[in-house]
Amino acid sequence: MAKLDIVQLTKRFGSVTAVSEASFTVQDSEFMCILGPSGCGKSTLLRMIAGFESATGGDMQIDGESITELPANKRPTAMVFQKYTLWPHMTVYDNIAFGLGLRHLPRATIEKKVHDSLDLVSLSGYEKRFPAQLSGGQQQRVALARAIVLEPKILLLDEPFSSLDAILRVRLREELKRIQRRLKITAIFVTHDQEEALSLADRIAVMNSGRIEQLDHPSTIYANPETLFVADFIGAMNLLKANAQGSSLRVGSKTLPLPDGSIVNGETTIALRPEDLVLVSDTYTGAGEIWKANVDQIMDLGHYRKVLVDVPDVGELKIFIAKSAHINEGDTISLVPARYLVYGQHGSPIEVNRLARPDSQAVQ
Amino acid sequence: MTTIQPAAPLPGMSFWQGTRRSFTTMVRKNGFGLIALVILALVILGPLYSVVLWAFAERWRYPSLIPNEFGLKFWEQTFSRADILEALPFSIVLALTVTALSAVICLPASYAFARMRFRGRQALLLSFLATNAFPRFGLYVSIAVIFFRLNLVGTVPGVIMIQLVNTLLLMIWIPTAAFQGVDRSLEEAALDVGASPLRVFIQITLPMVMPALAAALLLTFVNTFYEAQGALIVGLPRVVTMPVLMYSLINSQLVVQYGAIVSVVLWLPSLLLLLMAQRLLRGGYLTAGFGV
Ligand SMILES: Nc1ncnc2c1ncn2[C@@H]1O[C@H](COP(=O)(O)OP(=O)(O)OP(=O)(O)O)[C@@H](O)[C@H]1O
Ligand SMILES: [Mg+2]
Repeated sequence: MAKLDIVQLTKRFGSVTAVSEASFTVQDSEFMCILGPSGCGKSTLLRMIAGFESATGGDMQIDGESITELPANKRPTAMVFQKYTLWPHMTVYDNIAFGLGLRHLPRATIEKKVHDSLDLVSLSGYEKRFPAQLSGGQQQRVALARAIVLEPKILLLDEPFSSLDAILRVRLREELKRIQRRLKITAIFVTHDQEEALSLADRIAVMNSGRIEQLDHPSTIYANPETLFVADFIGAMNLLKANAQGSSLRVGSKTLPLPDGSIVNGETTIALRPEDLVLVSDTYTGAGEIWKANVDQIMDLGHYRKVLVDVPDVGELKIFIAKSAHINEGDTISLVPARYLVYGQHGSPIEVNRLARPDSQAVQ
Repeated sequence: MTTIQPAAPLPGMSFWQGTRRSFTTMVRKNGFGLIALVILALVILGPLYSVVLWAFAERWRYPSLIPNEFGLKFWEQTFSRADILEALPFSIVLALTVTALSAVICLPASYAFARMRFRGRQALLLSFLATNAFPRFGLYVSIAVIFFRLNLVGTVPGVIMIQLVNTLLLMIWIPTAAFQGVDRSLEEAALDVGASPLRVFIQITLPMVMPALAAALLLTFVNTFYEAQGALIVGLPRVVTMPVLMYSLINSQLVVQYGAIVSVVLWLPSLLLLLMAQRLLRGGYLTAGFGV
């Protein structure tokens, strides 16, 4: 239960800059996810906060006090690692009690805390087991218990569930969220799985090559990605090369409007979410540009369908369509780009909404 | 999908027939293995058997397969010899001293080899192999020449030093591999909950390398206890260890029994240590902890 400030934090390994001037604040009881592709510096950032890696530059503060110079064993942080890191020669009980023992607590207190924490991760009765006698999921739960039993100010988690199977991963994720809410603990969770980040986080920091590209609420990140990288990385997205001239954009032989007064010129990229390409009837005459498209491939994904279409002169696009829509591979359909973002060479993207309430006008 | 039916037992085939058949198939299949095992046992145990018998024989004339008379007469004689009474405890203390010194020198070094990256690490690690890669006798002779100038020949420190050389390979390589085998993140996890680096080493790293360290110490002790070449060249004439004494007993061929009894006695420490090692490795937490 504390606030963490990261100020201009940098880490270089020789000529490699793993983390480059990261600055952000994690609020009290906030659950923050750091999301990014492999090798972008997520672990390095987390390990600097834990104290396993020294910072090349910058500062870290917990509740206003700098921890940058503190060694790992003096920091009020606790970490759950990606690999199984329970000590193999100690029982579950001893694993959890180890840190408490170092704090010279009375025996009875230690016993109570260990049992409470095991209860919290639904592993009561496993005290006498050795780590080798637990499944991977159970081991990670014990690791979580070992971290939270110390009531750390900041809980750090480095892809703790990534070596578990998909179903277990989702279950432990929900369990973690419930525990974090209940204890109101400040947590930083590193992952390269966007679904995990979107479902867990109060806020997500998207990292790319050592930099934090955007830090926002999950819905904002999804709806308004600040950079092209974030647009491409989070969720499904169609990216189209376009040329901006005055108040219009040329995409192949098609044109799309730009809002009045927007100052982009030359090379731009249009980002179009699959669900923002709205299927309309062939007789549609409402707002927006109508693109004729050939249906190439239909993939049934349960409650909706992902459809690959080819728009002549524009290229291949993916769209999401309700199951009720009657389309078949080989059909020609009409689509209206309802909402898109335009990324110029510099600055923030421009948002364009062609249909105020697309669903009311769309015919499906 | 095909389903696999469990094979039903053949009607009328009794349990005994079943077992006998499986035994004959085993012999047929593993016949070569069994023969090899018997030969191996004869080759290894044959000489041992003869040595043990000689140790308890009072009279053994050809062509009898076992001694004509058993007795402990020669044991009394052996252990009333002044040279043996002196050499046996000396050898044990010497081997313990060399093992302890070797541990003090080598264990920190092997930790450094495992955990630190420094220039020449690989070359240095390989150099320990050099002492074992060439005929040892030549090495000893050249060392003896240096020791002679330093007045170390015929002294206990001289023998300790030459035997230490012998222990380096084992005491560096086994612990280095063991320390490397301890995952860094296990140590980080302990630092993370607040343990000091020293405590991490004692309570996390050390217990995990213990079996390997015990094996290295054991092998070093046994090797040193039986080491004769170095002790012979540097120690004589004033420092006489048990194996060196045995050489002279066998060479002078006074009585076969002396040699036999001494070798039986020499087996004792290594047998005892092997038993201890087995108990250590069987000890609950290690096996449970590593899922053996
Ligand atoms: N100890 C180190 N020495 C040298 N370079 C390192 C070290 N640790 C990390 N790096 C480099 O720093 C960069 C960031 O690594 P980091 O482990 O933080 O990535 P990550 O985002 O956690 O990736 P992943 O999702 O694969 O775990 C990488 O280019 C990596 O090669
Ligand atoms: Mg990582």
